[in-house]
Amino acid sequence: MAMQQRYKDRKKRRVYHRRKVCRFCADSSIVVNYKEPRFLKHFITERGKIVPRRISGTCAKHQRTLATAIKRARTIALLPYVGTLDQ
Amino acid sequence: MRRYETTVIVDPDISDDKRNQLSERTKDLIASQGGLFVNADEWGNRKLAYEIKKKPRGYYVCLDFCGTGKVVDEIERNFRIDDKVMKFMTILIDKDVNIDAVKEEMAKAETERVEAAKAEAEKAEAAKAETEKAEAAKAETEKAEAAKTETEKAKKEQAAEKQAAALEAATVSADETSSEETVSDTAETETAEESQTDDIKDGE
Repeated sequence: MAMQQRYKDRKKRRVYHRRKVCRFCADSSIVVNYKEPRFLKHFITERGKIVPRRISGTCAKHQRTLATAIKRARTIALLPYVGTLDQ
Repeated sequence: MRRYETTVIVDPDISDDKRNQLSERTKDLIASQGGLFVNADEWGNRKLAYEIKKKPRGYYVCLDFCGTGKVVDEIERNFRIDDKVMKFMTILIDKDVNIDAVKEEMAKAETERVEAAKAEAEKAEAAKAETEKAEAAKAETEKAEAAKTETEKAKKEQAAEKQAAALEAATVSADETSSEETVSDTAETETAEESQTDDIKDGE
């Protein structure tokens, strides 16, 4: 009985999760640029992977530009391929 | 024409002369291939996110230019040959760009730069003038104060002299007026005594 209750709670919580808003749509003044590793750093994990859309809440359009920018920054050694950026 | 941006990581250990030589040669190369060099942005020495050719640091230069694919090919070929260049990346900014507009923009940027420099110089001059003015004012006030004290001193001296003269005069005339003075003194004391007695009467 108790287990069922808990299960129900979890289900309920999943229904009422907070909808994330795309940062770039909310503030149109932000321009994604590969020359700003400090900004792009927020969108990579500790291992250096690109943070997926379902976690960061970025919209499809901006996730594409973001991914391109991160890849460019990696090419020119502004962001790491693997590991953290220690500065 | 297309607009490109090439970011180059140059060896940080080479001298400035060699680096300048490299950028000059690249500019010539762009011009010789029919391109238009727009701007070079030097970011300076930066730490790399990963080592390139066993080096943890690199000197970043960002070249902005217009041209066709031929220009890019030629530049990249040269960068590959040159061992001072550690890594480079060319990206396409604009697929179709109006060359006149770019030139205009360049001219505008140039004039703005010149004006900014001028404004800066003027500002510096104004600040200098201001400080000079302030200093002059300070000196003036100091001078004025000094003068004031001087005049005060002189006045005091004058007053002292006058006083001394008056004293002398008084001592001279004191003998003559002393009898009168004593008379007036006694009159005053009398009136005082009268008022006192009046008070006592009131109290009763």
